[in-house]
Amino acid sequence: MSTVRTLSNARDPVAPPAGTWRIGLSRGPTQRAVLIDRRTVAANGLLALLLAAVALASLCLGSVPIAPQAALRAIFGQGDAMDVFVIQELRLARVEAALLTGAAFSLAGCLTQTLARNRLATPGIIGIDNGATAFAVATVTGVSAHFAPAVMALAGAATATAVTFSLAGGIGTRGYRFIVAGLGVGAAFRAVTHLMLARAPIDDANAAYAWTVGSLNAPEAGSIALLAAGLVVGMVAALMLARSLAVLRFSDATAQTLGINVRGCRLAALAIAVVLSALAVAVAGPVALVALMGPEIARHLSSHRGVPLVGAALAGAAIMTAADLAGRLLLAPIEIPVGLVTAVVGGPFLLWILLRPGHRIAP
Amino acid sequence: MNDPAFDSSALASSPLGAQGLTLAYGKRAVIRNLDLALPARRVTAIVGPNGCGKSTLLAGLARLHTPETGHVTLDGRDIREFGGRELARALALLPQSVSAPEGLTAAELIRFGRQPHQGWLRHWSAEDARVVSAALAAADLEALADRPLDAMSGGQRQRAWIAMTVAQQTPLLLLDEPTTALDLGHAIEVFELIRELAAAGKTVVMVLHDLVNACRYADHLIAMRAGEIIAAGAPSEVVTTDLVRELYGIDCTLLADPGTGSPVLTNLRRTREPAPACAVSR
Repeated sequence: MSTVRTLSNARDPVAPPAGTWRIGLSRGPTQRAVLIDRRTVAANGLLALLLAAVALASLCLGSVPIAPQAALRAIFGQGDAMDVFVIQELRLARVEAALLTGAAFSLAGCLTQTLARNRLATPGIIGIDNGATAFAVATVTGVSAHFAPAVMALAGAATATAVTFSLAGGIGTRGYRFIVAGLGVGAAFRAVTHLMLARAPIDDANAAYAWTVGSLNAPEAGSIALLAAGLVVGMVAALMLARSLAVLRFSDATAQTLGINVRGCRLAALAIAVVLSALAVAVAGPVALVALMGPEIARHLSSHRGVPLVGAALAGAAIMTAADLAGRLLLAPIEIPVGLVTAVVGGPFLLWILLRPGHRIAP
Repeated sequence: MNDPAFDSSALASSPLGAQGLTLAYGKRAVIRNLDLALPARRVTAIVGPNGCGKSTLLAGLARLHTPETGHVTLDGRDIREFGGRELARALALLPQSVSAPEGLTAAELIRFGRQPHQGWLRHWSAEDARVVSAALAAADLEALADRPLDAMSGGQRQRAWIAMTVAQQTPLLLLDEPTTALDLGHAIEVFELIRELAAAGKTVVMVLHDLVNACRYADHLIAMRAGEIIAAGAPSEVVTTDLVRELYGIDCTLLADPGTGSPVLTNLRRTREPAPACAVSR
């Protein structure tokens, strides 16, 4: 490179790129260091604050209003006995469920959108949620009562994804084929769900209703615990893939020539998305469009240099908690299922993504 | 640009080659039993009509396409033995159609070229900073480092992509139609950058549509037709009216470029066979 001029050492030789912090972990030849994107840190801070505010509001508001300080004390079993009962027995589990399902759906959506390089490729749209729902409903309608709903949801999500994957002949290079195949597979599984409900006794059908619209009215403690564990593992695994995912956004050829194991990365990320979606469906059913809105909001706030995994989870959790709160308050004492609230808000959002002029469909 | 000192010794020390290579899509073989050696530290252009398999060959050389038979060797080793990151430190490829995430700037794109040198907890070293600055300078993009790719001219954007491969610090650079979408001025920008990279010691292989620019900017020409190499060598020796007719089905007159001596095609016309009565034999 004859034209290359040697850089002077006037400035710090390990100056981080603009907009990032470099945190050195070791000196010497290895030079271990991580780069942290300032804008992404700010975005995640903002989303975390928003989430905390929405979660607190969700604890305080309802048929029995509780003051914020009293609500926080009641979490730890202190203060008025009535407050403690309302918070611990009624509201806390519900807020937990909203927070975890929202985070799981949204992180899964962020992963599948990145893999397919298409904002529309969320687990709800590509049939993963419907597969999980069909299998979960089977546990209630008595077709297969031997397994826990979460286990069946996992099996359903994996089945739907495998079918879609083989029909589309892969994901990524043919992202839109994957979406179209997923739409078909999802529709088939939804039909199976409704067939089972139509043939089930009315009480069973009522019990399964929550899984068809997406509801947090009666979350099951076992499924919530499983989801919490799955979310922690899934988030850590996703963060380990973060640098590869950032390169995968370009194209398969570019990623491969930059040394990324494209197949391995894609399978791992898809597996994480399937597990997270399935565990979330087992708790709340297929809540519409959270996986579309959460990553979108996180992307707008975060740096374009990476994939906003943490931001997507935080935004999804906030959306879900807010939607559940709105569903409880709007027509009180009637509760609107959270899935209906997100569908009402998410529908226009979907149209905005599709029809916004001058914007790309790739995330 | 044709180096008079160029001789077969550069081929003898070929860093990249293929032996008995067959590449296929499904059952349709695009490249059949092909042998190839690329000269070290030179610019090689692969030319040929549309669909002759030149892009497929490039993909095969970069391990993006798995061969049916035969193998590609890099520094004497089968390319399949390389690890992903190891290969990415030896060979860079710029695909024909590239796209970057929205809003990415030139400097940010070039930083991605450091990926194969970085690790899970090794995101940014002094070496990374130095190489990225050098790549920006090599592509003459220092003033545009923080401009989004979407807001750049076609030539600037292509230079930024080439700078990304420079940051990869590979001895080998493969380019698939690097100037296809560019107007004349922007294409020359890119060709001159490619020459500078070769002068600095890189082995460059580019697939080109345009035979004239291939002659002007390449030291070594590989002419392909229907999946086979029909001629290979220095452009001034290889390019004849017969070759042009065989490749593209056109007759032409060949001149020597007054500046470089490389072959220039003029007076192009479609070959008519059998010759109509009015055609005057040349």
